[in-house]
Amino acid sequence: MAQPKNQNLIIERWDYRLTFAKEGRARYISHLDLMRTMQRAIKRARVPIWYTQGFNPHAYLMFPLALPLGTDSEIETLDIALTEDWDFDRLVKQLNGSMPEGLYFVSAARPVRSHKDIAAARYEIEVSFDKPAEEIKALFDSFVSGETIEIEKRLKPKKGRKPGVKLVDIKPLMTLNSCSLRDDKLFIDITLPAGVENNINTGVVIDAFCTFAKAEIAEIYTKRTNILCKDGENFT
Amino acid sequence: MEELKRRIEPLLLKTQKPARYIGGELGSVIKDRSKVDVRFAFCFPDVYDVGMSHLGMKILYGLKNARENWWCERVFMPEKDFEQQMRENDIPLYALESLDPIRDFDFIGFTLQYELSYTNVLEMLDLAGLPVLAKDRTSLTPIVIGGGPCVCNPEPVADFFDLFVLGEGEELNIELLELYERMKPDNPTKQEFLREAAKIEGVYVPSFYDVDYNDDGTVRSITPNCETAPEKIRKRVIRDFDKVYYPDSFVVPFTSIVHDRAVVEVLRGCIRGCRFCQAGFIYRPFREKGIDTIEQQTKALCEQTGYEQVSLSSLSTSDYTEIEKLLATLADYTDKENVNLSLPSLRIDSFSEELLERIASVRKSGLTFAPEAGTQRLRDVINKNITEEEIMHTCRMAFAAGYGTVKLYFMLGLPDETDEDVLGIPDLAHKIVDLYYETPRELRASSIQVSLSTATFVPKPFTPFEFEPQATPEEIDRKQKLILDNIHSKKVKFSYHQQPVSKLEAVLARGDRRVCKAVYAAWKKGCTLDSWDEHFRPELWDEAFAECGIYREFYANRRREYDEVMPWSHLDYLVSREFLIRENKKAHQAITTRNCCEGCSGCGISKDYGGYYCKGS
Repeated sequence: MAQPKNQNLIIERWDYRLTFAKEGRARYISHLDLMRTMQRAIKRARVPIWYTQGFNPHAYLMFPLALPLGTDSEIETLDIALTEDWDFDRLVKQLNGSMPEGLYFVSAARPVRSHKDIAAARYEIEVSFDKPAEEIKALFDSFVSGETIEIEKRLKPKKGRKPGVKLVDIKPLMTLNSCSLRDDKLFIDITLPAGVENNINTGVVIDAFCTFAKAEIAEIYTKRTNILCKDGENFT
Repeated sequence: MEELKRRIEPLLLKTQKPARYIGGELGSVIKDRSKVDVRFAFCFPDVYDVGMSHLGMKILYGLKNARENWWCERVFMPEKDFEQQMRENDIPLYALESLDPIRDFDFIGFTLQYELSYTNVLEMLDLAGLPVLAKDRTSLTPIVIGGGPCVCNPEPVADFFDLFVLGEGEELNIELLELYERMKPDNPTKQEFLREAAKIEGVYVPSFYDVDYNDDGTVRSITPNCETAPEKIRKRVIRDFDKVYYPDSFVVPFTSIVHDRAVVEVLRGCIRGCRFCQAGFIYRPFREKGIDTIEQQTKALCEQTGYEQVSLSSLSTSDYTEIEKLLATLADYTDKENVNLSLPSLRIDSFSEELLERIASVRKSGLTFAPEAGTQRLRDVINKNITEEEIMHTCRMAFAAGYGTVKLYFMLGLPDETDEDVLGIPDLAHKIVDLYYETPRELRASSIQVSLSTATFVPKPFTPFEFEPQATPEEIDRKQKLILDNIHSKKVKFSYHQQPVSKLEAVLARGDRRVCKAVYAAWKKGCTLDSWDEHFRPELWDEAFAECGIYREFYANRRREYDEVMPWSHLDYLVSREFLIRENKKAHQAITTRNCCEGCSGCGISKDYGGYYCKGS
């Protein structure tokens, strides 16, 4: 009979929280693909990664919060564990030697907060539409000053529930930090719910605006700028 | 690049799996275009997920990029959603490394791996903004070339290519690009370049050959019309397989692809000589790499890619002369590095208990066998030297080791197939189910599933069955029904292939130059991605053949005489016509032929080509 590998091995582990950037061509890597990409990058870098135990040991990697496809960021986090105690700079340097274009590590630290503490994320959106910028700005102002902002939320099929859509008012959930015109583009700084309990994608908000304004996106650039905990503190 | 990139990016967010269209993967080669003399677009005429799994591309990509002043880039067929976006937004087909349009490249090379990708070649040329017919592309560049197994009969796509490269590409690609680099400063015409290229062994320029036909529609003669074009074009073979280039780096995709792992090729060619199998003949002779070479290549690739799985690739890995020693050597490394070692293409008769153990310790996946035919007599006809006893022996071991799923692959419509042979298929499945129930309960898996799968036999060039007619769709339908009616166990599942696909494949595999018209017409009507069930449009192909006046039965369902001039008669794949005829006759007498390891059967290949078992001169 085949035996589970790594069993009864008592291996000390050191936990790390890595901050990384995802930008340029790498922004089109989906979350699932990012997992694979990071696994391979870590393997290539030959850092002493801690493996889970069992029949199919795999490198331990955990992303506290997924980044939507097409969004840039310099503040993403990845939790890993090593079997040796490495200093932070060495780890970052070693990993960066084996990363693909557009993905790199910024810093490493010991994890402090639990990923369950994550409550919100802040984004910068630069967007232009098929309508003049001034008109768009006026439309956006009235979009956010309305009573409610309703979006369609897809329901996952559960026991006793059919798949479908329901309308959700996201107005009380979002915080518009600023909105201005820059070089004929709408520049939006917005904070949205994120994490295990409630998660709203920037795309949902922009789509809702498109419907409201009867406009279509010409170009869009989105960047996540911060991840926040329930108590308002930064996650990292 | 920047301009095109800016226009591509907004489209990506509206596209399925956008990572396929933007490049930037680890291992992709970026060069300074101002310092590059030859640019080569390596096109795989199918979607990224399939093309990125292809080993030949990885080899030739690395080989060409090893030259500082050559730049080889990857190009794939876009899925329908992105193709539509490209057309609507006027985005020409571009290469994934530079994001430059490929119409400006020196070479556009297609690898032709299966016949059903032919319309994709036309689609890609058109997306690139180029005329699809070679005669309409009058300037020197881009030179459109084709390689891969299908070029052993490239006649159904001859009108679309400037030249074909026959056989193994490692040396030939270098010679061809070197010639181009030498001639380029003098601004030759396309004709001037092709005339020189035709002198390289293995280069076939279709426009340098005239094809005449007999009154009955068969080929009368194929004659060169250019003094540099040889009467017969001989395929290229790498003589020393230990010394040939092999990449130490792969492009590692972000998105999951069909074969997402490191691959090390351990041997080339096959000793078996199954009479239906084209690969078994066109890749001859059998050559293998030394254990040291394989070990070193495995380590290099695992380290560069970070893959957690490495696969030993070949037509039949268990025919490696020192397979047990090879596995032991590699397992020492892979176990230590938490890498899985996988062995595709294991043959049933060499499946020892030790090998089974080794695979079982990784993952208890299913067992897959390809007996191909239901009775021993028919297996002798096709020279698939597996006995029922061997199948049962392996299943007995596997069931006792806890395996619970068995997949069996068969072909329908084989030469001389009778209903008794067809009924042998469900019979074998039932015997395997019975065997499971005979296995002690405490050892066997909790349930058993035997999956039968049949494909329609497609006769291919350069096999002993190249003379054989394909069974008609009606006949295949009847045989499929016969199997269905004779499955009496709920533990046996049966799945089968669609008919129109196999018939089209048969026409494209053994067609002549006149078939080009139908390929063009089908593409014009919107046929692309024909190998994908959801995109295949048989009714459009029907129209295309009808409009071109091409009678498909002539190519697919007609018996060809031993002395008939085949559309590929001017191509030399080293295996002699006499050998194929001898094998065909033996097939009809149900007499098997020994494999190369047991003794040479005189297929016509000289021992000078480096074959491990070759004796002939």
